Amino acid sequence: MLDKILTEKFRRRLKMVFTDIQNQQDRRDEQEFAKDEVRIKERLLSTFTPYSADIILEDDYRIAAIDGSGTDSLMTLDDIRIHLLSTSTIVVDTNTQSENLFSPIDRETLESELGDQPQIDTHWHSGVRGDAREKLAETLANIYPLKDIPSLILPFFTDFTQGKIASFSDFTDTEYEKHVPRLSDMETLISREQLLTNPTVHEEIRKVSEYAAARRVLTSDICPKYLLIDGALSVFMHFVRRYPSMPSGFMLRDLCALARQKNVVLCAVSKNHTIPFAHRIAGMAREVFGETAKWFCHLPCKDDPEGGLHIYEDRTYIPPMLAVPYLYSFSRDNRPSRIDFDRIWWLQNIFVPADPRATRSNEKALFAELEFMSRDARWYGYPVPLALAHVSCKLSYEDLRLAKQVCEDVRTEMGLDRRKAQDLRADYDL
Amino acid sequence: MNLDKDKLGELYGKVAIGNQTSLGIMGRNRDISVGEIFMIYSDRDGHERVFFFRVLGLENYLRQVDDMARIAGTLLTEGDAYLSGIDRNMLLSLAGRMLGYAEKDEKDEWTFKSPRRLPDHLASVYRPVPGTSDDFVREMLACQTDGEVHIGDLQVGEATLDVPVKIPIMYLPMHVGIFGSTGAGKSNLMMVLIKSIIDTNLDSIRNPNADKPRLSAFCIDPHDEFAKGVDKYGIQSIVKDMSSTTRTDVIGDFYYLTTHKSATTRDIRAYTREIRILYSEIQPRDLYSIREYTSEMSSFIDAQYHANGEDWIDSILNMDEDSSPVPLGTLRAVKRRLSFLERSPIFVDSGTSILDDIFYAMETGRILVVNTSLMSDTEQFLLTTVVTRTLSDMRRALKSSGNLGDFETQGQKRLPQGFFNRVKQKARTFYGKDGVADTSEVRDPRTLPVIQVTVEEAPSILNPVLMRGQSVFKDISRQGRKFNIGLLVVSQQVSVLDNVILSQMNTEINLRLGNEREIKACIDNASVNINGFENEFRVMSRGEAIVTASYRELPLPARIPLFDTIYEKDRHKYKDNKTTKEEEHIL
Repeated sequence: MLDKILTEKFRRRLKMVFTDIQNQQDRRDEQEFAKDEVRIKERLLSTFTPYSADIILEDDYRIAAIDGSGTDSLMTLDDIRIHLLSTSTIVVDTNTQSENLFSPIDRETLESELGDQPQIDTHWHSGVRGDAREKLAETLANIYPLKDIPSLILPFFTDFTQGKIASFSDFTDTEYEKHVPRLSDMETLISREQLLTNPTVHEEIRKVSEYAAARRVLTSDICPKYLLIDGALSVFMHFVRRYPSMPSGFMLRDLCALARQKNVVLCAVSKNHTIPFAHRIAGMAREVFGETAKWFCHLPCKDDPEGGLHIYEDRTYIPPMLAVPYLYSFSRDNRPSRIDFDRIWWLQNIFVPADPRATRSNEKALFAELEFMSRDARWYGYPVPLALAHVSCKLSYEDLRLAKQVCEDVRTEMGLDRRKAQDLRADYDL
Repeated sequence: MNLDKDKLGELYGKVAIGNQTSLGIMGRNRDISVGEIFMIYSDRDGHERVFFFRVLGLENYLRQVDDMARIAGTLLTEGDAYLSGIDRNMLLSLAGRMLGYAEKDEKDEWTFKSPRRLPDHLASVYRPVPGTSDDFVREMLACQTDGEVHIGDLQVGEATLDVPVKIPIMYLPMHVGIFGSTGAGKSNLMMVLIKSIIDTNLDSIRNPNADKPRLSAFCIDPHDEFAKGVDKYGIQSIVKDMSSTTRTDVIGDFYYLTTHKSATTRDIRAYTREIRILYSEIQPRDLYSIREYTSEMSSFIDAQYHANGEDWIDSILNMDEDSSPVPLGTLRAVKRRLSFLERSPIFVDSGTSILDDIFYAMETGRILVVNTSLMSDTEQFLLTTVVTRTLSDMRRALKSSGNLGDFETQGQKRLPQGFFNRVKQKARTFYGKDGVADTSEVRDPRTLPVIQVTVEEAPSILNPVLMRGQSVFKDISRQGRKFNIGLLVVSQQVSVLDNVILSQMNTEINLRLGNEREIKACIDNASVNINGFENEFRVMSRGEAIVTASYRELPLPARIPLFDTIYEKDRHKYKDNKTTKEEEHIL
């Protein structure tokens, strides 16, 4: 393969791809971006005054963050794959008064509130028809602490219908009435059963593991001001039924509702932002605020004043339903990242109707706090609690290798066939 | 056995990587220095052992950080950056040498072994704490630190434990090397050694039934500082503190030898003798030991010695050039080389020699401090040579004899007549097992006091050129142990010393060295493997030493205490016991 990759022919092929992208996508985006440029520059982009390094907050507060990691192939037993998931919660305290900034709370306190850290989960399903869905539902029900399905699904409908559906009886005479039987258990909440491949199943469990950890934080006595999760606040919808196609969608909205109830700012931070022309927005920010400025840019949706941006008009899930994304950068050395907030919370706490200055002022205060928690020299510009959670949950190659060995040992211990936990390709030295 | 691990000190870290010679330890972020000694508790396979580890290198380690330079750069360029909860992730990675391990033998006694095993996986590492670990370390390392001559205390980094590092008397005849550059603390070490010898002899005198050995030392003092001291106190302070009885027993009538008694301070003068050596007491090989002579010159000297015996020096110095049996050039060259004797105040044609008193002192377990500050190098070297050769010839004569009659015959053959005739009667009292009659069996030299002769500026006489010839030091270095005579070789350099003496040397006290070449030579010459200690030599301070000995597995880091400090601590013991204040009884 290498002899092909190193050829001029391969380089020409790549050039063709990039030219193609430029001709089609970039040109279209460029045209769309031109329509948004002034609005972005003048009304959506903003900077803020960062906290001074020696600030002492009147009320120090806690920040919780959750991240997960895993593999969908801890071991392969014919058509069965065993999934391994590791989910970690970190809670830090701003601690400005004791000048020990953002130090994690001790492990003992954390584990007494939230259980073992990182949390380890496993899952398996076979290729038997329907098994993936059934087993997935079983695992999700097992992992997520809220077991009552009506309580789980209602927050979505309440938020989505702007309060029109607040109880099961409210489904009557709505488009959802006919789907009510499907909204009764975890298995029927999985409406994408045709797409339940191993990676999809793994992704769903991982998400739910993180949401479960988030829920435990919200119901604990930890009482953070912020709860950060990795990724986006996207809810993938069933286009026909108009509700989440997977249970994780309902769980996310359950979390959002619970966070609002507990006065916790729930946000999702994503390095892989998928925002088109983010580099142009970043360039614009540098141009307007200077090279070293820390900035953010609101990415409005169609319901916001002046509507959504042209640039993501045809892009599904940007902005995500019931969420408010921002593009931001707190470090000149890094590419911009994205942060999503619960739209209902945002409307209640950040957005001030008909007062863009007040809205901006709220945004600035919010981002000043987010930036303050993103100054750790190891991950400058990225929220330190999330970074710590990532480090804590990360399943390294070595961890995985050992976990696979343990798998084999346990099978031997149980008197079962000691099947190799390695990739099957290894048998043929491939 | 179940060790009380608290006695080892403070739990510091865990063994991370390594093998039986070098280890990597991950430890807490503490103020550790190169040279510190740690103890590793291991219980592999039910065998409890305490491994000793010496830090040779340190590296900051931030857990979860691969690129420390990037972090440092960020902290610098982003003025508001912090490191959240970093304290628990800030660790020190220590690399170093495994020194060996202590374990209890079947008699439940601690033994120490060279590193031939490895501590258990992730074994706990303890940092010795002065005041806590001392007793336990002393107990475990007893076989590595015990002896009679105290030279310092076990150093664990910058601190010391109350674990005295001593040299056993029985190994002194196997020669001791003191290596250190100017300012490394050689003079203080010599004074500490002299004090320790005095203490050993005092102990032997006060415990006559304990059969403790005595020790003699002929100590060259090139800067005339031992008696008066470098700072506040000197050997004279000890002498002054002694009661007259103790002083007579330990010091005798004198301990200080100098070229000019009148130039000595009044308090020391009472214990001073002037150094005078007669021409007749000098033998040709004494001269060959301190300077190179051509074969023509040595043949001529040997012929003169053969013909004129003990008058050989006078005979050469007064030889008429017209009657020279050798080419004029040779005669003149020899005369030139001997001419320093004519100018020397200490080498005299006639008068009273000090050699008798030196002999008596050395055979009765005393110390002599020899002020050579007013002598030329040649005079100093010749004095050392004549004394060493005389003492060794006396003991050689003894060793070659079955009874005192034989001894006299042997002595007459080997030693200058005048000297031997003067000392032989007294020598009989030293050497006779049961009386002074000819028939009396002689004592084994190994039961006599150990004599330690200092060779200062050793490279001048212990160099390969002189050691190739008929140097008296060649014999002493090889055979001294048979006669209980050892050399105390003091040198700033190791690299220029002859291999014969280096290979015979069994104890090295390595102080701070001047340059990389000397460090390398010192490491190569050490009696135990101290490869890898280069960094440590580079950072050693004044008074710090690494003591290596062929009879010990552990290279011992030691701090030489200041003479004044130990003198102040011990001065009470030089008084007689009965001088302690009587208890007052009130009725």
